[in-house]
Amino acid sequence: MADRTEFLEAIRHRTRTGKYKPTHAPDIAWTPKVEPPERERIEDPPARFLQELEALGGHGLRVESTREAREYVISLAKEWDAKLLVRWDVEELETLGVDELLGAAGIEVAVWRDLKDFREVAGRADVGLSTADWAIAETGSLVLASGPGRGRTVTLLPPVHVAVVPVDRVLRTVPEAIEKYVGDEAGRLPSNVCFHTGPSRSGDIEMSLAIGVHGPGDVYVVLVG
Amino acid sequence: MHTKRPSRERDADDRREEGIASKVEGFNERGRRAVADRDLHDAVALATEKFVTGRNAVLGALPDAPELRERAYHVKQETMANLDRYLEQMASAVEARGGNVFFAEDGEAVVRYIGDLARLRGTKVITKSKSMATEEIELNRRLEEEYAGLNLEIVETDLGEWIAQLAGDTPSHIIGPILHMNRHQVADILSGVAGEKLPPNVEQLTRFARGRLREKFLTADIGISGANFGVAETGTIVTVTNEGNGRLVTSVPPVHVVVMGIEKLIPKFSDLSVFVQLLARSATGQKLSVYTNFVTGPRGEGELDGAEEMHLILLDNGRSDLLGTPFEEALYCIRCGACLNVCPVYRQTGGHAYGSTYSGPIGAVITPLLKGDEEAKDLPHASSLCGACSEACPVGIPLHDLLLKLRNRQVDRGLASKAEQIAFKGFEKTMKSPALYNISTKAGRTAQKPLLRNGAVRPLPGPLSGWTGSRDLPPLAEKPFRQLWKEGI
Amino acid sequence: MRVALFVPCYVDLINPEVGVSMVRVLRKLGVDLIYPEGETCCGQPAFNSGFFDEARTVARHFMDVFEKENWDYIVCPSGSCATMVSHYYPFIFKEMPETHRSESLGHRVREFSDFLVNVLGVKDLGAHYEGSAVFHCGCHQRRELGVLEEPRELLRSVAGLELLDWENEELCCGFGGTFAVKMPDVSTAMADEKIQALLKSGADTLVSGDSSCLMHLSGRLKREGHGARVLHLAQILDSGDGKVG
Repeated sequence: MADRTEFLEAIRHRTRTGKYKPTHAPDIAWTPKVEPPERERIEDPPARFLQELEALGGHGLRVESTREAREYVISLAKEWDAKLLVRWDVEELETLGVDELLGAAGIEVAVWRDLKDFREVAGRADVGLSTADWAIAETGSLVLASGPGRGRTVTLLPPVHVAVVPVDRVLRTVPEAIEKYVGDEAGRLPSNVCFHTGPSRSGDIEMSLAIGVHGPGDVYVVLVG
Repeated sequence: MHTKRPSRERDADDRREEGIASKVEGFNERGRRAVADRDLHDAVALATEKFVTGRNAVLGALPDAPELRERAYHVKQETMANLDRYLEQMASAVEARGGNVFFAEDGEAVVRYIGDLARLRGTKVITKSKSMATEEIELNRRLEEEYAGLNLEIVETDLGEWIAQLAGDTPSHIIGPILHMNRHQVADILSGVAGEKLPPNVEQLTRFARGRLREKFLTADIGISGANFGVAETGTIVTVTNEGNGRLVTSVPPVHVVVMGIEKLIPKFSDLSVFVQLLARSATGQKLSVYTNFVTGPRGEGELDGAEEMHLILLDNGRSDLLGTPFEEALYCIRCGACLNVCPVYRQTGGHAYGSTYSGPIGAVITPLLKGDEEAKDLPHASSLCGACSEACPVGIPLHDLLLKLRNRQVDRGLASKAEQIAFKGFEKTMKSPALYNISTKAGRTAQKPLLRNGAVRPLPGPLSGWTGSRDLPPLAEKPFRQLWKEGI
Repeated sequence: MRVALFVPCYVDLINPEVGVSMVRVLRKLGVDLIYPEGETCCGQPAFNSGFFDEARTVARHFMDVFEKENWDYIVCPSGSCATMVSHYYPFIFKEMPETHRSESLGHRVREFSDFLVNVLGVKDLGAHYEGSAVFHCGCHQRRELGVLEEPRELLRSVAGLELLDWENEELCCGFGGTFAVKMPDVSTAMADEKIQALLKSGADTLVSGDSSCLMHLSGRLKREGHGARVLHLAQILDSGDGKVG
């Protein structure tokens, strides 16, 4: 503790006695020197969200009912020849009701609850299924918050990630999404909030795009409603 | 194959006494080798052009980009002016969430803390996501040396950083660590690890890397990350990656350690709005990086994954010395790499020529500030002062002006070469006296006559040899302008 | 309107023809020109190398010379020298007795093309030059002064001249003052990058508003044996009747 006080004292001293005060806000002009566009109002956030997601190599669609969403998730699991699907333990996914049908198709379902070795389960799973707190139209992002039953690795370790999101959770912009976690409205900040924007990628080798290093390479978002 | 880990000893004595052109050997020497490597040049040009084109497009499309930049500057300015208070707030917030906070004076303190922690926890494997601060203090090497008995396996998980680590090399660009390597070199390196010949095919190489690193992600005892931002109000640290390794390092191992420079703080969670919008756009031309990750303390009640134990190490290592000085703005950097991408010098030399963890314009500024002038004598001179960096910086750091101030600092501290001091004293005397100016330039016109060949000054040894070695030098005109004016135009 | 001439030291000593062309162009437009006694240099070489005290001495002399009368404008055929006075004099005299003087002088210094287009309101000077050209904008002129379009507008009005685009036009030429001799290999490589773009564009002429950039690029062009003509903007604008500058 003594170290901490000393450490902070030294800094306090610097900031009090320092003579220099930067006076100009950035004074050299900024590129790009183009006329900034009008702040557009995104008229149809769900449509824009799907558009952005597709442009990033993700897959999105909008369905009207939970039944359609359920059918889509099942078909994806089959298409991917999944042996194990791991999902969040949340009410919305209970209601979605995929467990039995997947089981019937010979696909094991692990629910994120009481797992002895989460690494083993999430690490072995072929598909990870979650919902999302929010989605961001401007960038095609999902906003995933952690919590009981909402494993971080469910959306990260399996090579395929599927998110089922009520359409009224689609926000327009990044600032709007950040606002959701500020102040009283948000309540206590979750231990982890992450914006997932499309499939995992790397350009490290010769600037060529490689997908699915290390997070999911295939991302599907179903907007319901 | 390519440049080795730069050694401080090699570059220590790089100042010559003679010549106004006291060639600052270190940078030019390394730069020359880089310039001769056309493959490197093409790789750097390709990458930086791609980043810049992307950046211009997405920032041009962002309606309030110039305002965001101003706000970013002011937020950072406010933070530095009250850094002690924000650090206290950060520590309280993290501790309130059950995290541990350690204030580290320098790299040694960090090594001790992490090494002791590893010993206590019986650690075998450590996964690391990108952290320039840990590279700055050479954490990996020092942990391996000073805690050799623990036999720690420290694995970089960013694809490029991992490959560099395997090759015994260092990153050459903040965002693209192995810009300087081609796929064949990568294939060689990974084949060595695989124990079989891997083809120079990006997809296959990546698949191999993914499999190998996945093992490490899942078995790591400690995950070490850096942080792009630390929010004082909430105790949140922010990591940003495209690969997902940042999130895997911070969520899977039971222990999460963050090493963050004290200057990375921002006051409030809502301030993130400004920075998150600017960072990815400036760095790679993406609207957002794939994983923008906000971590607040260890895992919450009832959560199955996420770290059980979290340690935030706040690193000083010379940063606080800059507060309240004319160099303070260098601390506003958010490590986006935009300045590297637009720098015409970096384009020719790549990152390794700078001989430091931080390269490009920000490297040329921050290295002498953190390490001292003697350690990095040549870096403030590794610039033609074109100003592209200041123009591209999303926080508005006046980088090229800071380089000028650093040059001045060297002069004030008596570090300029004797010859340069004499030359500029002479310059001062001549230029403040029109009579002396006329006399000396007239003498010059006479003296140059025997040195001319085909209308140019022929290559000579001595002060201007740097120029005449590769370029023709024009002679002084027969009649200067002032004479022509007198004679009537 | 009384206009004083600020002729940079290397224009005075190495490229006086640039000064001569500028004078002729301005006189043709009826501008009353004065060339103040005792002009030497703006002090930038010392400043760029970090010798701020020495630069201040030279700057004080400069201010003395140019304060002798209250000129309306001080015109300079160099973006970098104009920037030194207008932007960096206030920088080196910040919080010093000369602050006020440096700022008031700074406001009146104008780069040549800026003066023609924005003060005199002139774009077409009736010049004639047969050839194809690319324009290299000096870094200070581009970034600190923001005078990027004006030279191009002037060049587009020159009869017979085809103004071409070239790659990487925003890249610095690599001169940078003492940088050119301190980091000669890097500096030369930067010049080579520009020269490659020049050759690729097919232009036969390289034009700039900064003689320092031109000295560096033409020095390299000549050494490598390329035949492109290298001319200052003033010389092009002073061309006509088959004669250049």
